[in-house]
Amino acid sequence: MLQPINVSLESLNLITLAPMLIAIAGGLIILIIDLINEKLHKSLYVMLTLLILFIDFGAVLGLNVNERGFFDVMMIDGISIISQLMVIAGSMLFIPLALTSKRFHEFEYPEFFALFLFMIAGFQFMVASDNLILIFVGLETASLSLYTLIALHNRSNSYEAAVKYFTMGALAAGFFAMGSAVVYAMTGSIELYQVAEVLAARMSGAIEPVPVIAVLGSSILLMVAFAFKLSLFPFHTWAPDVYEGASAPLAGYMSVVPKIAAFVVSIRIFGMYIDLGVEWVRDIILVLAVLTMTLANVMALVQQDVKRMLAYSSISHAGFIVAALALDTTEGNTAIFLYYALFMFTNLGAFAMLWISRHKVRRFNNRYDHPYEKFAGMIKIVPMGAVVMGLFMLSLAGVPPFSVFWGKIYVMQAAVNAGYIWLAIVMGLNSAIAAYYYLKLVVYMFLKEPVKDVDTVYYNISKPLMAIIGLATVATVAAIFYVQPLISYLYYMISASGY
Amino acid sequence: MENILSILVFFPAVAGLLGFVVDKKSARAYGITVAAIEFLLSLWLWFSFDSANAGMQFVEMIPLIPDFGVSYYLGVDGISLFIVIMATLMTLIGMMSMSIKENVKNMIVTLLFLEMTMVGVFVALDAIIFYLFWELSLVPMLYIVGAWGGPLRVYAAIKFFLYTFAGSLIMLVGLLFMAYVYHNLTGVWSFAITDWYAMVLPVNYQLWLFAAFFIGFAIKVPMFPFHTWLPYAHGQAPTIGSVILAAVLLKMGTYGFVRFSLPMFPDASVMAITPIAFISIIMIIYTAMVAYAQKDIKQVIAYSSVSHMGIIMLGLFAMNAEGISGSVFQMLAHGIVSGALFMLVGMIYDRMHTKEMSKFGGIAAVMPKYAVIFGIMTMASVGLPLTMGFVGEFLVLLGFYEISPIMTILAGTSIILGAVYMLSVLKKTFFGPITNEAVKKLKDLTPLETWSLVPLVLIVIWLGVYPKPVLEPIDNSVKAMLTFMHEKAITPEAKEIIKVPQTIMEVK
Repeated sequence: MLQPINVSLESLNLITLAPMLIAIAGGLIILIIDLINEKLHKSLYVMLTLLILFIDFGAVLGLNVNERGFFDVMMIDGISIISQLMVIAGSMLFIPLALTSKRFHEFEYPEFFALFLFMIAGFQFMVASDNLILIFVGLETASLSLYTLIALHNRSNSYEAAVKYFTMGALAAGFFAMGSAVVYAMTGSIELYQVAEVLAARMSGAIEPVPVIAVLGSSILLMVAFAFKLSLFPFHTWAPDVYEGASAPLAGYMSVVPKIAAFVVSIRIFGMYIDLGVEWVRDIILVLAVLTMTLANVMALVQQDVKRMLAYSSISHAGFIVAALALDTTEGNTAIFLYYALFMFTNLGAFAMLWISRHKVRRFNNRYDHPYEKFAGMIKIVPMGAVVMGLFMLSLAGVPPFSVFWGKIYVMQAAVNAGYIWLAIVMGLNSAIAAYYYLKLVVYMFLKEPVKDVDTVYYNISKPLMAIIGLATVATVAAIFYVQPLISYLYYMISASGY
Repeated sequence: MENILSILVFFPAVAGLLGFVVDKKSARAYGITVAAIEFLLSLWLWFSFDSANAGMQFVEMIPLIPDFGVSYYLGVDGISLFIVIMATLMTLIGMMSMSIKENVKNMIVTLLFLEMTMVGVFVALDAIIFYLFWELSLVPMLYIVGAWGGPLRVYAAIKFFLYTFAGSLIMLVGLLFMAYVYHNLTGVWSFAITDWYAMVLPVNYQLWLFAAFFIGFAIKVPMFPFHTWLPYAHGQAPTIGSVILAAVLLKMGTYGFVRFSLPMFPDASVMAITPIAFISIIMIIYTAMVAYAQKDIKQVIAYSSVSHMGIIMLGLFAMNAEGISGSVFQMLAHGIVSGALFMLVGMIYDRMHTKEMSKFGGIAAVMPKYAVIFGIMTMASVGLPLTMGFVGEFLVLLGFYEISPIMTILAGTSIILGAVYMLSVLKKTFFGPITNEAVKKLKDLTPLETWSLVPLVLIVIWLGVYPKPVLEPIDNSVKAMLTFMHEKAITPEAKEIIKVPQTIMEVK
């Protein structure tokens, strides 16, 4: 006979669920409002989403570090708090970009905003748990919403992008499920802290030893899954097409926020393997990192479209950061978050500049929306815009004192401190290669003569977009003044959660 | 005014920002006024500078990122003082003689930002702040070459940027490794150069770090075989770009060697003497020969720059007070002389719209003032006694004689080779019959052009006759540095080669 289960409400610690519930409830509210009145303007939904995210942000800030809740499935440690904050901050930067001066199809549907909030809840679940099943659920919730958001951008190559991303995502999900199954078979648990204990015992031979093939299999399967999500070579092939098909702000968003969530899970899983002394996990990650940053850079060199160039460049940046993951030091993990916190503003800013220049119907030429020629002589048409875009490019290239530079030297310093000087040199050389393609856009904007149809470079401009770009510019230029508090906060939170 | 260095660094930047508001037609006057104020400020720095003190003066320090050891840390000593003054002077004179007509306002604003980065590099005492200004200086230069340059300007600008950027990223890894070693030794993060001076490194660390810094600095100098970007950049740059590039930006590389490589890695520096002397002699002789083969007058001066930078490099690695002081002095001399020569070439180009020597001939008869000034600068470039160029070159050769007489003799050919190509320029351009009809109609220097060149002529002669006021503070700081390198050196060879200066040197 089944025993009745008594669970006290206090022991559930429901407050740990509050941030996700806020996002989900917000999504439902938006759907209900749409049921009542169909003819509401998108600006209402944008502002509502922003407010919900604002409350969500507050709820995350109010969480205590190192708590567990909801049958110990939820885990609120330092990493989960900072990553949730970053996810929400990135989303808050993204959502006002819907308020373009021209009418774009996808933002007319309130479902867009509801899905967007569900996606954020998914990311939050992903980072706030060490239970492989809940991570999987979070990952899939977020991914399925994201596929739909991409497809809502009503263009043939958006469907292509969504389907491509979906297929690749499904494959990754399969790998993740199989990897988790092997982990469960090895240890009889899907809670990572128990997995770590059992694996440590079995690998040291205290209890029945684990076959090496199982450790290898589980880590490889999980790594493939996350290599897809983080767009690491050779699993990166979907990224440029998907970025090209998605709307520019969504592409910028995809290059930051989902990756933060995926990095958190990677830190938890692969950090565990490295801590257990499985050195080849580290080696594989290092090889992937070097290949990703180098090959993506080389590919970015030959792109003719700025958006595709930025897609490859963000793959390369991801390769840069994955290298920090392999270090498995507190500094390395701090570097991951610092880099993304700084990269987020610059990269979203750059994609927002592309978004401004996106024409509603026509493309710039038969093949591309944003070829380099489109921005030729921009200094003569919109000088302020050209200067801002130039700043973003210099920042991405790692020219001091702009934001990404500080992330870069922190990653490189972490590599040097961990004894990987060759890695720091590879990073340095890659930054030098990368400078070329960022500079190419600067050269087009400042040193070339305008060509036909250049009026499109400010086609979509509106006050909210300018505000977001202004914010991103300030964050890019003034980085030197807030890097110190950012580093000490991130370092404190990460060391508090034991990574 | 204890914070005069901050004012010196940020005054041009603030002025540059405000310059956006100034009307196009008044932009040039605005730029000249700002540059003049900046120059006067730098002169004030000199007057309030204590020549007897060999250490850092006017030090300012504000922690920026304490967790990472980065602070806003500025200071000036005898070595950097005069380079700063030269940078402000050449910016002022360059602006005065500038002949650009289009987008003058953009040019002025860019130049003011460039001035900030130039002053910043020479007064920064924190490695990250140094790196920051070092990299930032590339951006305005990229724009100057790319926007106002010749037909191949974009290629030249990108080549310049990528070359230096790639080199300095390797240097950045070196900086980070230094900070890491410092952290290991002391448990504290610091990027302060003065803190790093105190560190005694094992020889193999020194060698690796020396190599990392060498790549960054050597590309900037530019040392053979990394010099290929320079003729392109000079060939395509507008006059003002060439002036600043030759006078100040190249000095960043050699300054980096004095500020970082020598005092931080004394043993590695001593080991590097022979290879570097070898490269320097190749620079001196090979580029002098290339210079002689040029048809374009600007290219001659561009290659002569590389040749003179060889002399400077040789002096730095003489490891004694004569060589290093002479080399720092030669940096100033080369800055002023080559800056003036580029301005002179720019003036004739504005009139003739060509830089080819075969189109000239007999200019001396038409433009006497121009010919006189050009002649004086040529003599200074060649290193004729009683000009500024002689003092530096002589001291360098004197200093290096202690290391290797044979190499010194080879390097001494620079004076002969220099005379060969510079005098042939003089002959082809100024003397002989007038073959080109256009030459007959040339007008001599305008008052503005004259007045921007005369101060340079005066400086060249004044410091050629009586270099002591400049040489003494340089010498003090160099001697302090050498004493300290001697103490710090680990290997006996290095201890022997690095000479602790005994007597006060007098050069009249």
